[in-house]
Amino acid sequence: MSYTYLITGATSDVGRTLIDRLLTGTPDALVLAQGCGDLDKLAALCQKFPGQIRPFDVDLSDRAKVDTFMQLLETAAPAPTHFIHLPALPVVNTKFKAFDQTRFDKDLEIEVHSAIRICRGVLPAMARAKFGRILFIQTSYTIGCPPKNTAAYVMAKSAIGGLVKSLAVEYAKFGVTVNCVAPSMMETNFLKDTPDLIVQAAAADNPMGRNATPEDVVPAMAFLLSDEAGFITGVTLPVTGGSAIV
Amino acid sequence: MTEQDILTAVQDIFRDNFDDDSLVITRETCADDIEDWDSLEQINLLTAIEKRFNIKFKLSDVRGLKDVGDLLDLVARMV
Repeated sequence: MSYTYLITGATSDVGRTLIDRLLTGTPDALVLAQGCGDLDKLAALCQKFPGQIRPFDVDLSDRAKVDTFMQLLETAAPAPTHFIHLPALPVVNTKFKAFDQTRFDKDLEIEVHSAIRICRGVLPAMARAKFGRILFIQTSYTIGCPPKNTAAYVMAKSAIGGLVKSLAVEYAKFGVTVNCVAPSMMETNFLKDTPDLIVQAAAADNPMGRNATPEDVVPAMAFLLSDEAGFITGVTLPVTGGSAIV
Repeated sequence: MTEQDILTAVQDIFRDNFDDDSLVITRETCADDIEDWDSLEQINLLTAIEKRFNIKFKLSDVRGLKDVGDLLDLVARMV
């Protein structure tokens, strides 16, 4: 069976590392890669894996565009066997008194509402095929006590956690697993709005003495996406160096 | 910039951060004196100070700060 991976937020550091991992040694696999205004970041991967990556420029904050994207996929691409949802707006560390409602609403659109619409699009074919893998990226902030000043981020990620558990039980009998990884602070472009001192302090406080990297997180994602992980569903797998333990 | 200038600017940052317009800080003020002053608030304060004075702290600079006096001295060395 050749696999078709639908990856949203594919242009991110994690997305690109994951694509490299999934396509290495699997010439029959296809990646449907969504980005937004930054598809040039996929150029090197497209050269490395000719014909195996189909980039799509879609603004996930616009529901109509998400629906159009799904209609396009239905007619122009094989049904995804795997759906990996990575998009999120960068964390803003801000007190609740300065809560940015507009930004939060946009983050919910990009992260949560788009996930619901895309899941509704891809799940019927997965259920019919009696096989599917859905994977989200959460955060260790949803494990135990979250840090202060991250309400918007933690709320959106918690909504994803609820979706994962709900879909997991509903689709288990169809051979579809739904999981998420929960990395601790990961040093990527995602942290561009996070003060350096917070990043350095997180590294110093981590039991491993450093922050996570995409290379730490992607193998855990690849495992949850693998055939072997077929009996694991509804879980949040912490990838934290020990900084958050379930 | 005098130490008093720095103190005044830092006090404004403390007042904004801790939501207390009547907060008065001295060189002797430390985390025990302000209930909400924990490690995360400390980083928020330092980040706001970085922005206000256009300086950049290293974690090793700020880990040993005992009180506002240490903080003012550190800022004075960097501006």
